[in-house]
Amino acid sequence: MKNRIIALMVFYAIGVNAQEVVPKEKLNFYGGFESNSQWYLNDKPLGVDHPETPLRSNDYLFLNLKYKKWTTGIQVESYDDAALLNYNPRYDKTDVATYFVQYKNEKIDLTAGYFYEQFGSGLLYRSWEDRALGINNALRGGRVIFKPTSYFTLKGIYGRQRTGFDISQGEVYGVDTEIVLSELFQFKTTELSFGLTYVGREEAITAIANPKYNSLTNGFAGRIDFNHKAFYLSSEYNIKSRDAIVEVKEQISHDFIKPGSALLLNMGYSKKGFGVDGTFRRLENMGFFSERDAKGNAYNDRIMNFVPSLTKQHHYNLANIYVYQAQPNVLLADETLLKAGEIGGQLDVFYNFKKQTLLGGKYGTKVALNLSNWHTLGGKFYLPKKDYDTDFLGFGKKYFSDYNIEITKKLSPKWQTVFTYINQYYNKKLVEETFGVVKTNILGAEATYKFTDSKSIRVLGEHMWADYDKKNWSASTIEFNLNSKYSFFASDMYNYGNDEVDMRNHYYNLGGAFRHKSTRIALNYGRQRGGLVCVGGVCRFVPESSGVSLSLNTTF
Amino acid sequence: MRPVFFIAINLNLLLQIKQIIFYFDDYNLFICIQNYTIMNKFQLLLLFIGFNLFAQKQVPNLNLANLEGKSISLQSDFAEKDKLYIFSFWATWCTPCISELDELNDLQEEWKKAINFEIVAVSTDDSRTQKRVKPLINGKGWEFNVLLDTNQDFKRAMSIVNIPYTIVVKNGLIVHIQNGYVPGNEKELFEKLKTL
Repeated sequence: MKNRIIALMVFYAIGVNAQEVVPKEKLNFYGGFESNSQWYLNDKPLGVDHPETPLRSNDYLFLNLKYKKWTTGIQVESYDDAALLNYNPRYDKTDVATYFVQYKNEKIDLTAGYFYEQFGSGLLYRSWEDRALGINNALRGGRVIFKPTSYFTLKGIYGRQRTGFDISQGEVYGVDTEIVLSELFQFKTTELSFGLTYVGREEAITAIANPKYNSLTNGFAGRIDFNHKAFYLSSEYNIKSRDAIVEVKEQISHDFIKPGSALLLNMGYSKKGFGVDGTFRRLENMGFFSERDAKGNAYNDRIMNFVPSLTKQHHYNLANIYVYQAQPNVLLADETLLKAGEIGGQLDVFYNFKKQTLLGGKYGTKVALNLSNWHTLGGKFYLPKKDYDTDFLGFGKKYFSDYNIEITKKLSPKWQTVFTYINQYYNKKLVEETFGVVKTNILGAEATYKFTDSKSIRVLGEHMWADYDKKNWSASTIEFNLNSKYSFFASDMYNYGNDEVDMRNHYYNLGGAFRHKSTRIALNYGRQRGGLVCVGGVCRFVPESSGVSLSLNTTF
Repeated sequence: MRPVFFIAINLNLLLQIKQIIFYFDDYNLFICIQNYTIMNKFQLLLLFIGFNLFAQKQVPNLNLANLEGKSISLQSDFAEKDKLYIFSFWATWCTPCISELDELNDLQEEWKKAINFEIVAVSTDDSRTQKRVKPLINGKGWEFNVLLDTNQDFKRAMSIVNIPYTIVVKNGLIVHIQNGYVPGNEKELFEKLKTL
């Protein structure tokens, strides 16, 4: 393996060297480096011991070379001595992670090697990279994008998914077309486009003879996007052919076979100073993995589609304790825990009170209102036989709701303030398949004060009232920006309301960051609260830990 | 080369690296990574990277959709001679990004008296939050061109880890990068723009 790395590096070295003989603008070399290291420490008061390997680091080196219409790239990843806590154990040591060669002109785009792609909103197929979550499900194979005119695009993909430093057993096929009718018919004020998708997943069934379902699972989707002046509407409908259900990790139910579907409907209206947006989504049995038994794995490994929770992503620490995760899967555990998917929606309203009005004041006031509500699918469930018939618009038990308002107010050129109120309902039993329901109320306030043009301080205070689980919390953060290069912060989250006195922990953190052009280096010391770390509606569970972390990123 | 900043970190990093040395001044950044097992080749490579930092980089050859669903080419649609294009990477859930764009929106009219430039707000929102982009922009009353980097192709090509992140492009070449934002950075950016 090391030889492979060296060979590729020498190739790059030659490529870079070659720059001296060809004009500079023709050969382009670029890339980036990211490193996240953590030194885990023992923390007796918190009750955590450091793992056996206390010094861990996740590192990514991404190098690209571009010459005329050709681009080639390689990403080397290193998890040494081990990956950070609760990353997929398949990320082990150092190796070449992805590589590609691409040719692109106005009409055609060809890629061989690893690539990332998304069809529509991603409910059937998306491959992406999220290093904070340890997700990289790039497809290794080939992709063709053909764009003969400005209003028609055809994409074809084939490959096998990356899993750790290996690739998955399942094969993925996909075709996507998009036609922009408004360009074809030259509409002036209206945009209208249609898209059609096919995705196939082939995984041999070796566990049983004469299975009642096919090794090839087919997914079809259609979508429409419509825009007229201030109004817009989009919708997408996806179906997935009959396939064996996986209720519990690594256990394929060969006799419990169901199809899946997803409906997404979004519309909104916006003009200057005002915006409203509503989304409805219904998911039924839409878990889709390149290997059937990967469903339910804790690392989002081998996941083929993107099913984010449609709720607001809060930046307050306490609002991220009870986070909703989308529920596309089937689980018929007992009469009180019956899941076949989710149904619900989200509404956003943005309003800007103009300057020099009663509520706008001298500098204007910005208000953002967000409401979301998610339920299990209603219908008939049959136990112990294991079957169900869902109603199309059946709302079952409530999983989650979040009603929140955020008011941003500039008091003077030096003072900026934000107030937030959040009300959450979190059905822990249904979402996490454990116990209880948590209802919370969260208040947050933050203020930024500018001392000079480059020196500023930001103070943030939060409080959460919760009636169950770990109960009440308070939290605060102070951030001091010394100048454009250095900034420091200190924060604490205190679970003072915990019923168990010895669990009333402080989760403090302090750190600093240095920035210079494209480089950022951050050092942090403190405690990590155990729980979900979520990015873009997809979550990763992290255990409680304590230690020092160093992160660095740069581009060149 | 003026050594302005120099740090050495002893950490067990990439390829069992024993030492990383950072060295940069206003024009260069060198990352020197020492590895006792395959040291020479790796160090050589990074040295090449170091030398290459002198060269200016092109904008990636990508097409992104704008808010009206139209496909926009990064190379050919932002090609007015000597005009500065400020690509500001943001997301609807990123508070500092929104603060930065709020500031830029308030200041751009005044700046336009001095410089020929255009701000392009590149939304890295994925399909979870992408639908919030349009009402948020209108709600805020921002007057920017907006591109949707839904599957983060642009962000990935630029090796961007954290947002906010700002790149300035002139004649198809990246002439300035600002990683992050703190209040006041916009003034510094303005001063920088005047020199580009």
